[in-house]
Amino acid sequence: MKTWWFVWRMFVFRKWTFTLQIGSAIVSMVAIEHAVGLAQREIFDTLTGDGGAFLGVWALCAVLVGLGLGHSVAFIGDELLFRFNRFTLSTLLQRNAFDRVLGLGGASSLPASPGEAVSRFRGDVRQTIMPMMDVDLLVANFLFFVIAMAIMASINAFAAFAVFLPLFAAVVIVHSARGQIRQYREDAREAAGGVTGVIGEIFGMVETVKASNAEERVLEEFERVNRERGRTSLKDEVLGQAMEAFSSNAHHVATGLLLALLARSMVAGDLTVGDLSLFVFYLGNSRAFSREIGKLLTDYRRIGVSTRRLLDLMPGSPPEALVEPTPSHLSGPLPGVPAPERRHEERLRTLEVDGLTYVSHERDAGVRDVSFTMRRGDLVVVAGRVGSGKTTLLRALVGWLPPKAGSVRWNGSEIGDAQHFMTPPSCAYLPQVPRLFSETLRDNILMGLPEDSVDLAGSVRLAVLERDVETLEDGLDTMVGPRGVRLSGGQRRRAGAARVFVREPELLLLDDVSNGLDVETERVFWERLSERDDVTALVASNRRMALERADHVVLLKDGRVESQGTLAVLLETSAEMRRLWAGDTGSEDGGEAEAG
Amino acid sequence: MASQGLRALSAPRTRIRFRQYLELLARYLRPQVGLVAAVAVLLFSGIGLQLLGPQIVRYFIDEALAGSPVSRLFGAAALFSVVAVAQQVVNVLATYASGRVGWAATNALRADLASHCLSLDMPFHNHRTPGEMIERIDGDANELGGFFSTFVISLMGNAVLLVGILALLFREDWRAGVAMTAFSAVMLAVLASMRHLSVGHSKAERDASTEAFGFIEERLAGREDIWAIGGKPHVDRRFWELMRTWFKADLTVGLMTAIVFNTNTFMFRAGSAIALAVGAYLFLNDLATIGAVYLIFHYTSLLGAPVQSMTRQLTALQRATASLFRITELFEERKTVLDGTRATAFAEPSVRFEGVSFGYKAAEPVLRDVTFEIRPGRVLGVVGRTGSGKTTLARLLARLYDPDEGRILLGGSDIRDFRAADLRERVATVTQDVGLFHGTLRDNLTLYDRSAGDDRLLEVLDLLGFMGWYRTQPDGLDTRLSSGGTGMSAGEAQLLALSRVFLKDPAVVVLDEPTSRLDRATETLVDRALDELASGRTVVLIAHHLATVERCDDILVLEDGRVVEMGERERLAADPGSRFHELLRTGVDGETP
Repeated sequence: MKTWWFVWRMFVFRKWTFTLQIGSAIVSMVAIEHAVGLAQREIFDTLTGDGGAFLGVWALCAVLVGLGLGHSVAFIGDELLFRFNRFTLSTLLQRNAFDRVLGLGGASSLPASPGEAVSRFRGDVRQTIMPMMDVDLLVANFLFFVIAMAIMASINAFAAFAVFLPLFAAVVIVHSARGQIRQYREDAREAAGGVTGVIGEIFGMVETVKASNAEERVLEEFERVNRERGRTSLKDEVLGQAMEAFSSNAHHVATGLLLALLARSMVAGDLTVGDLSLFVFYLGNSRAFSREIGKLLTDYRRIGVSTRRLLDLMPGSPPEALVEPTPSHLSGPLPGVPAPERRHEERLRTLEVDGLTYVSHERDAGVRDVSFTMRRGDLVVVAGRVGSGKTTLLRALVGWLPPKAGSVRWNGSEIGDAQHFMTPPSCAYLPQVPRLFSETLRDNILMGLPEDSVDLAGSVRLAVLERDVETLEDGLDTMVGPRGVRLSGGQRRRAGAARVFVREPELLLLDDVSNGLDVETERVFWERLSERDDVTALVASNRRMALERADHVVLLKDGRVESQGTLAVLLETSAEMRRLWAGDTGSEDGGEAEAG
Repeated sequence: MASQGLRALSAPRTRIRFRQYLELLARYLRPQVGLVAAVAVLLFSGIGLQLLGPQIVRYFIDEALAGSPVSRLFGAAALFSVVAVAQQVVNVLATYASGRVGWAATNALRADLASHCLSLDMPFHNHRTPGEMIERIDGDANELGGFFSTFVISLMGNAVLLVGILALLFREDWRAGVAMTAFSAVMLAVLASMRHLSVGHSKAERDASTEAFGFIEERLAGREDIWAIGGKPHVDRRFWELMRTWFKADLTVGLMTAIVFNTNTFMFRAGSAIALAVGAYLFLNDLATIGAVYLIFHYTSLLGAPVQSMTRQLTALQRATASLFRITELFEERKTVLDGTRATAFAEPSVRFEGVSFGYKAAEPVLRDVTFEIRPGRVLGVVGRTGSGKTTLARLLARLYDPDEGRILLGGSDIRDFRAADLRERVATVTQDVGLFHGTLRDNLTLYDRSAGDDRLLEVLDLLGFMGWYRTQPDGLDTRLSSGGTGMSAGEAQLLALSRVFLKDPAVVVLDEPTSRLDRATETLVDRALDELASGRTVVLIAHHLATVERCDDILVLEDGRVVEMGERERLAADPGSRFHELLRTGVDGETP
């Protein structure tokens, strides 16, 4: 992935407004500026009697004021276009990255904590587009420079070209430092991500921190990452200033050089004070050009760092995905939330899991050769100890873990893209610890479904949440707080369940849904769920209430199916099942060798 | 009248704000007086060098027109270059020094903010997303960073530069001095009047960005749930909603900034025209040489730099003001759970609730007149429906909240008398939510307590039957866990959280659903470890599984925040009329032996 390609794609995305932005910069910085320089020369020349005095000193002064006004007006337009382009481009990158990250579902873990990922959404997006944003200045400065060179050359060709040398030297020096610049910038951004990551985590688990009396210690850790960031950022800033100093030094040296070169002509009277003022004026303005080039070279290098950090967030996506010109909804109607379409041929009749195998690269976890079949209306329970692979199996079924072997068939035909197929209305998965968002309870459950077309009350009841809703101050309109902290753990789990139920999926995958519920609530939960014969559910659980109501039990041990069948049969034939049932660990942990 | 009313409203705010800036500066810059002085020296040297340049050019022009020897002109040209290079060296040094000041100051501010926020009560945190905290601690401190590192000193520097230029103009000719002083005064007055133009807009813009990033952070954390229920279109819509609010605010700020900035640019250009006019007048009346005209013109162009840079700083100041508002707002948050003064010294760790009532909101009591006592060394099981107030009980005991009424006694003293840190060292709590962060396994176990030895950590893991999992970790205790425990099962995370308590030596242990995510087999193992932990300690066990409470000495049954029953477990279990007995019976599910 070439950086220039990124820049080009971003330019094309906003080609008209960028062109306008460049246009307004050319008016204010090239046309008007040159007029200013020439008017100033004319004033000096008129005074020393070298000029044609075609307007007179006072009129020329008035012209300068008028040009100043024109410059300001054009520049306001430039600023607004700049903001417009910057914002729409940032949003494009943020939207694309956000889209891809969400699209991964559980298929890949974030390479950073959510807090740190946010720092990439903020800082790295900025880094990526900043060089783009100054392109108008670059073009305008370049044009200004070319015209200035032509005019200078017509006055004193030698002096005009000598000025090139320091300019060229500065660009070379800045360019040669690019590796260092990139490294420092990367370190600084990394350290900044560390800081936001730590804040996010401290305040994401504030209750734990407080209850564990760990405030001072986490603050020490926070100060440590802060110091690291201060150190790396300072290096970055000083290097930046040093590069800036090189470019502007080049121009001061150039001015000195110019004075030396012009000394003879001045004494000889070949060069007027007006010419000198024009030369100095041009040098001052060309300085901006060399600074822009230097800045561009530096920033251009930084694009690579930042795009890589953004692309890291979206594994599996091609680099194009980041700058893909997706529609913007910053104005006009907001995107609609399409109601999930239920097609008759997709109504679940049977689900056959055949030899499903998933092996994790990192850890010893995984499932091997898992086969079972379920029919519409079945309640199938997957049981097994901690680490036996229950959750892994569920996550493999929703397509988040790439299977190494085996197949899953829906009504007899193999599911191709499980990640996309196994979502509502076909399937909905409830993770062990459902996450709620800082919205109302109602919005958390509906998540965009139109309330009048779904059975909200029924779903709340099915999740045994109706009594809780009654006791909440604002009922379903209660704001649940960040990550749902204002609800109890059990309430959050049941709100998660209601969110799944309200979608009335063909197949429910429930991971440990009733854990952490009190006995009373748990019983009601299973009663209501098993009363509904239109519900097909695959549940990971070791709870007796679940096992007793299961049509079929799949018992996992170390990632393999130890045995399966009805509870009664398993209790008779499987020692592992009896242990789970009785809550007995038997002879110590995992490694025991057992026949069968 | 109306305008007077407005003035009355806005004036005090301005004053307070100014004092707040001074307080902030004094607080965070004082520790680095030496460096601040160095920055000042560097900046003033830079100014001196800057003022020297035009004098050299003027000398050059006048000497050239007077037909002086070329060698003298060469000397002037060389001196000009040397001065310019020296100025840049000084600039780099100044960047280094002011950067160090800035980072030290903002890091201290970040630490203070984080520390302050962390010390605030749970109700504060229950309203704020971690993403919002990132914006308010890091984002606002970043805004103030420029303020610390450059603002004051460079504002002073610009003021000195301004005065220096005007003084040199007066030296040239009093009329030039008067004209340019008047011009500068007008420019500064206009500037000052525009100062507050975009403060409100800046704050709105920052609030909008805070909300957007808070939203993104929360959705990234919950992306599995969003995908699993097909909630993405809904999230996308909300994303655009937040972005367009921010977009409007950003454009408004842009317009304000552009107006302020360009008004000043225009005035600066008008100033150059005035300088030329004044110079022309002086020259035509033989009051100045052409070199002097150039000098006046050149100094006026230098005048623009400090004024423009002051404008830029004022824009930065506007942003900083918006941030300062928010930071002050944050610092003004007070905690209601006030720290006690006593160390937690007591003979025996008895726990007593006396008429405790509490609600997270005034209208919704969660606990009502709860009174009970746990004798030292006993294990109390708390049972009741979800939402009956069990978890609240645990939170009150750890003083995450204070009761609205009544009191809680530990070893006979009100826990409000103790220093909270001491109390939480003696009362260890395992919360329902397992907090795991992006860090090593060791740091996750010890929560950065460096005093705990590795041997002890492994001993605890072994005690909890966690060694099997531990052995699969590639780098042992140095294995980095991902944030939120991705890659760990909920049960494993819970074991890890439990391990934390074993690393302490508390007198009272509060376990909130300690085994809810464990399977029976693991739970039994953990229960054994809990038995060991319980010996010699007072334990409050909040439980859902009746199997868990089997090892409790006493049972407390909560219903709708009231104690409906309390007594010895065996006695209650044997009494067919007790609520606990009924629970055991209706608990079905084979939970009774």
